[in-house]
Amino acid sequence: MFSVIQIAWAHRPEVLAVFLVLIALLAAASKVPLSYNIQNLMVRIPTSLMTAAAFMLVVALVIVMLAFVNGMYTLTQTSGQPGNVILLADGATDEQFSSLAMADVGDIENQPGIRVLNGQPMVSRETYIVVNQPIDNPPPGRQKRRFLQVRGVDDPVMSSAVHGLKLIPGGDWFSSAGVGQVAGADEAAQPAVEVLLGAGIARELGRDRWPDAVAKGKNAERLDVGDTFRLSERDWIVAGVFESTGSAYDSEVWAKQSLVGPLFGKENYSSLIARTENAVAAEKLREYFLNDYSKAKLAPIVETKYFEELSQTNVQFLVVTIIIAVITAIGGAFGVMNTMFAAIGQRTKDIGVLRLLGYKRWQILVSFLLESLVLALVGGLAGCLLGFFADGWTVSSIVSSGQGGGKFVVMKMDVDLAVLSSGMLLALSMGLFGGLIPSLSAMRLTALEALR
Amino acid sequence: MRFLILVFDNLRRNIGRTVFTALATMVMVLVVTCVFSILTFLSNVTSEKAANLKAIVTERWQIPSQMPFSYATGLAEGGGYEADHVRIKPENSMTWSFYGGATDPDPKKRSNNTILFAFALQPRSLLEMMDGLDDLKGPERTQLEADVKKLQETRNGLIVGKDRMKNLGKKVGDRMTIYSFNYKGIDLEFEILGEFPVGRYDNAAAMNIDYLISAMDAYPQNNAGKTHPMANKSLNLVWLRMPDQPTFQQVSEQIMTNPAFKSPAAVKIETASSGIGTFLEAYRDMIWGMRWLLSPAILFTLSLVISNSISISVRERRLEFAVLKVLGFRPWQILMLVLCEALVIGTLAGVISAGGTFLLVNYVFGGLKFPIAFFPVFLISPQAWWWGAAIGAGTAFVGSIWPAWSARTVKVAEVFAKLA
Repeated sequence: MFSVIQIAWAHRPEVLAVFLVLIALLAAASKVPLSYNIQNLMVRIPTSLMTAAAFMLVVALVIVMLAFVNGMYTLTQTSGQPGNVILLADGATDEQFSSLAMADVGDIENQPGIRVLNGQPMVSRETYIVVNQPIDNPPPGRQKRRFLQVRGVDDPVMSSAVHGLKLIPGGDWFSSAGVGQVAGADEAAQPAVEVLLGAGIARELGRDRWPDAVAKGKNAERLDVGDTFRLSERDWIVAGVFESTGSAYDSEVWAKQSLVGPLFGKENYSSLIARTENAVAAEKLREYFLNDYSKAKLAPIVETKYFEELSQTNVQFLVVTIIIAVITAIGGAFGVMNTMFAAIGQRTKDIGVLRLLGYKRWQILVSFLLESLVLALVGGLAGCLLGFFADGWTVSSIVSSGQGGGKFVVMKMDVDLAVLSSGMLLALSMGLFGGLIPSLSAMRLTALEALR
Repeated sequence: MRFLILVFDNLRRNIGRTVFTALATMVMVLVVTCVFSILTFLSNVTSEKAANLKAIVTERWQIPSQMPFSYATGLAEGGGYEADHVRIKPENSMTWSFYGGATDPDPKKRSNNTILFAFALQPRSLLEMMDGLDDLKGPERTQLEADVKKLQETRNGLIVGKDRMKNLGKKVGDRMTIYSFNYKGIDLEFEILGEFPVGRYDNAAAMNIDYLISAMDAYPQNNAGKTHPMANKSLNLVWLRMPDQPTFQQVSEQIMTNPAFKSPAAVKIETASSGIGTFLEAYRDMIWGMRWLLSPAILFTLSLVISNSISISVRERRLEFAVLKVLGFRPWQILMLVLCEALVIGTLAGVISAGGTFLLVNYVFGGLKFPIAFFPVFLISPQAWWWGAAIGAGTAFVGSIWPAWSARTVKVAEVFAKLA
């Protein structure tokens, strides 16, 4: 049963299509003209509109919640390169808790199976740090601090190639020293730390600016090249901004490892990311480092699998969303029942006439069920339209494996066909559940009882 | 009184409609009650308190916060002081260190059934400082006191929550070795001395900090004189209890200006509410959505459902209202009649739903397991009882005011003319 539900969940648009085809077949088989039901809905227009409005709100709500969860899944699924292997220290569950001995790094990079770029092994040496940043200008009701994800890298060009990231034109990599002067600053002042920002965190940090800084800045929406922010009592200057990839890297600040490591007390590398030819080669490399490599004990994991494991919170949010959807749908279905029972109560004579005209009981059942489904369809479509406005909203969240460690992410909500299909299926289920019992009661009326 | 009897009689006349409306109300009030409970709890824990404050001292820049354990005594004293200055000390303090590991040394076999995260702390802190344990009363308090005493006497003891114990397949009295992954090379053997009271610590474990510190001190003897990499990082955070805000400000100044707490790790001090607020920053959009999208949408939907139901009822009873007018009922009395019918359904259904949610979630399910930050469960607030009444009554009023007004304006002549 559970696998049937899983398969249905994975093919929601197809399930919706089947549902709609069944409804069309029922309408064709029923022989009671659908126009009769639609006309009756129009006669009781205030009631019909209120019922449809209730459907609309429930469906829109569920679509917004599913769009949030979908955005998290999109983020964790697009964050990893299939050919990348993350090498952590033995026993580390996450790069936040991993510390690799510097002496081991050179040998690890020269192992077979790792791709080569311009004569260099495609390995990104990284130190991942989560830093507590005071917020200078928090809006009312907002916290005065945030957690900022800083990734110290040795060679930003190589690291970007490994992760498949590109800079927005106009930006540049940070210098080999990793520091630069702020325009207009005193020459004797401490140089600023040069950084590359993910698109999401550039927007987030951009919101911290005072209005005059926004007016002077190149980009009102986000931090851009040349803009600065404060962290750890130093100025940090933006050298470049990455193009948005919808991945967890959109929420990171990259800087020179040799600067940020000592600055935050994490001198060792937390991870090495090695690029191979493809997913198969990545798995082979992972097994090599796990079973055969003896010079250091490592915890290798294919990058796509690493981010898949961070979907633990996605699953939890999805479960909560489904529970809320089911509960509110049950409430909505009771509302539909009221509407349909009232409709049947007022049209018992119609039912009697239909029976006398030769329509069978099941056709009466189907007719009233279709009426409920038409309401559900209209309300569901309106709800999908309303919920669709949530597509592309930028929101913050956290993804975690549940074993400690997690990433604070800025992501876009994603309303796709599967999400919209879920909304429509929910509406039709409410219509079916809410209309079935009243329709059964209509079906049971005899012509004589109905006309009495 | 007769008016009320009339209201109940009217509700009984179409029992199906009354029941479905009540059921719809109950179902939606259930969701809103759960959401309000979570939002209220988060609001409470992030609100600055004026008295009986808890301050958190952590590493200034990084998470996870890792400070040398040598900071513990100085921080508990409220920071260093100059001989001629008045020093303010916190009322009480508690150190936190986190020791994590698994019962199987093979990382590949790690799972929820083998992993243990233990708070390494001074045992007395469980009774004096831990939220949800410091205010225990009755037999639970007595049992915990006995377990804490055992933990003080037995350095390798553990107090474990029931769910964690069940996952590990252990019981009180069992021994186990934990192979640590954050204190590599410091694998410790434990004896389970007791169980946490049922509630928020069902998945937690607590050990004696002295055990961990002794193991760290002994490490060089077995490792060619090398200190453990975590030697200067074993203190994760310190809680300080202060009576009021001015004391907090003073202690904060003492700690932040003390050069002893700048290296090897700089520290920061903030109130517990502020610290928790920082963790909740990542969830701000979700919390905003719960407060301004989810709850209003459900309340509006509920109003629509009630409005629909009452409208249908009013439409079917136009003749009845016309007869009531002929009998001398004033328009406002008819309005009140319809409103009262809606308010009775809404209020009763709301109270039953919210009250039932309170009892079911808190006493049967043990709380709502909602994945926000490090809160294991959320309990339904006792205020739920009046929330239910208010939500039910409020949505019923909003949903029924228009149909009730329409009932009030029924024209007797029109109704009887149609009848004729």
